[in-house]
Amino acid sequence: MAAHQVRRSGLTMPVVTRRFVDHAWRRGCDFINLDLEDSVPQHLKAHARGLIKDAIPVVRKGGAEAFTRINHDYVHADLEAIVWPGLSKVNYPKAESAEEIRLLDDVITRLERERGIRPGTVEIGANIETATGVAAAYDIALASPRVKEFGGGTGYDMSRDLGVEMFVGFEQFAYGKGELELAARALGLQVRAAPFVANTTGSVSDADRALREAQAARKCGFRLGGGLNPAVVEPQNRGFTPTAEEVEDARWVLERHRELAGTGDTWIVIDGRVIDRYEAARARDTLEWAALCTERDREKAEAVLRTRAAMAEPTPPTLA
Amino acid sequence: MAILVRRSNLLAPITDTARVKQAWQSDADAITLDLEDGVVETRKAEARGLVKEAIALAGQGGAEVFVRVNAALLHADLEASMWPGLRGIMLPRVASAAEVAEAVEQMTALERRRGLAAGALELIVLLESARAVWDIRSIITANPRITQVGLDESDLACDLGITPLPEHDPYVYARGRLVIEATAAKVQPIGITYPLGVHPRRVSAAEIHRMATDARNLGLKGVLCPDPSWVAPVNAAFTPTAELVAHNKRVREVFAGAVAAGTAAVPLDGRMIDVPVDEWAKVVLAMADACDARDAQKHAPRAGS
Repeated sequence: MAAHQVRRSGLTMPVVTRRFVDHAWRRGCDFINLDLEDSVPQHLKAHARGLIKDAIPVVRKGGAEAFTRINHDYVHADLEAIVWPGLSKVNYPKAESAEEIRLLDDVITRLERERGIRPGTVEIGANIETATGVAAAYDIALASPRVKEFGGGTGYDMSRDLGVEMFVGFEQFAYGKGELELAARALGLQVRAAPFVANTTGSVSDADRALREAQAARKCGFRLGGGLNPAVVEPQNRGFTPTAEEVEDARWVLERHRELAGTGDTWIVIDGRVIDRYEAARARDTLEWAALCTERDREKAEAVLRTRAAMAEPTPPTLA
Repeated sequence: MAILVRRSNLLAPITDTARVKQAWQSDADAITLDLEDGVVETRKAEARGLVKEAIALAGQGGAEVFVRVNAALLHADLEASMWPGLRGIMLPRVASAAEVAEAVEQMTALERRRGLAAGALELIVLLESARAVWDIRSIITANPRITQVGLDESDLACDLGITPLPEHDPYVYARGRLVIEATAAKVQPIGITYPLGVHPRRVSAAEIHRMATDARNLGLKGVLCPDPSWVAPVNAAFTPTAELVAHNKRVREVFAGAVAAGTAAVPLDGRMIDVPVDEWAKVVLAMADACDARDAQKHAPRAGS
């Protein structure tokens, strides 16, 4: 698997709400998703577009990557306004066809060239939020090499399209999630998904649930998080990062597996536990991921330090 | 676009005279006169002779009237069924787009011959095989007459060679595919959650209501009711409650206030209200109105009788 970005946590925020944007760097997120879409009122769309260029460096001050969610219906105007150095990804909502993604790719390719951005820098997030999108999943995921992670199939838009209440406490989206995961895996993309963890209140700030969901997601092989409220950032960072015990255990597995070399055996049972090349591969994967998480946390901590030094901020930031 | 409100569709075997006579009083949104599984093989011809009169009987309470035909006796059954007052045909055991085309061709010919409006009769298709579930996209997009599609879970079990146990739903994938593909094709998926779809039995109204509510929250739009006792709890489950209507009116107010104040993201009771939440509120309120209107249509004739 190709080395991938560490995107355990992220906040989607209306770019028009200045205090969210100004404080974003203090939140500890792996990414910030500046929203031009559903959290921005229709009459402020043009104004919002104009804010992205300056907001990108602001939200990156804590080491987070900067993304922008554009409007399905304003692709050209939005892309012109947002593809600037520092932008890592364009999230495109309600993706329903490969054609749409190819159009995005064409425009981004031109803007990268015109604006001195290394070709291929800006990713495309194809958000699947309708039944039609699920039905065309594979073609959409395949439509551009800029699509590096793929998933969805849940959320308010999907609920509305299917005509269902969203917070009912049972798995409503199993088929769509399954289709999207299979498409992603078949194409070797990162999977944006989470196993079902009931949320009957609809709360967006439930730290406890966020942690359980992140832990369960990691066990299922998913590593991508994100949310709407600062309260879920730390739980997601923690839940998606292997614990010290897990790292220790992975090292132990690799050692036992190394000891097998030269014995003529390919596997061994220790305390009822099988040690073989599959377990060794899993352990190696855990250690690689843990190292990436550590590296990412260091990058962010250094960025925060630099920013605070530059601002000559005397006191530690409050993580409100 | 008008919302199709067809929450309950009551099956009435055409040879069950008492059932057919009483069906119109059940408050079902639709009544399907059954020539297929509800009629024994030896009485098929007799059953056909009963359809024309039964259509008028079943429709007198404002319900839409359908006839479920036999796939193997399609021509004769359509001849017997396509009379004024009929809303459409329920076509079981559909396994290919070609079968839909065949039925539509015969329906079109009969409409012309009998002076019925061209293309007016709808189709409800039932999928009963793995092949049909796999090919659902080509089947339901084969003709615009198709307004609803469902699984016949009993016959599907036969085709799959399984004996479904009540505690293990074997149709998570099939039903999920039904909902996604039908929604994408703008056709209504219908059905109830497991195990009622495959083990329809006499259960409490509360249990039917619960499973129909779950069905609605899977994206299904209505239920084929094997018994009149299902109709009331099914109608209730697919109608937005007063509580839901009140909540969504509040969502709309709070959202409008936020937009006026310069943001389209605003908290309400721990949730985040933004555009799709407001859009959903519109849907719920429109659905509530459409259900009210449909109920009024049905109640008017009964009040006058």
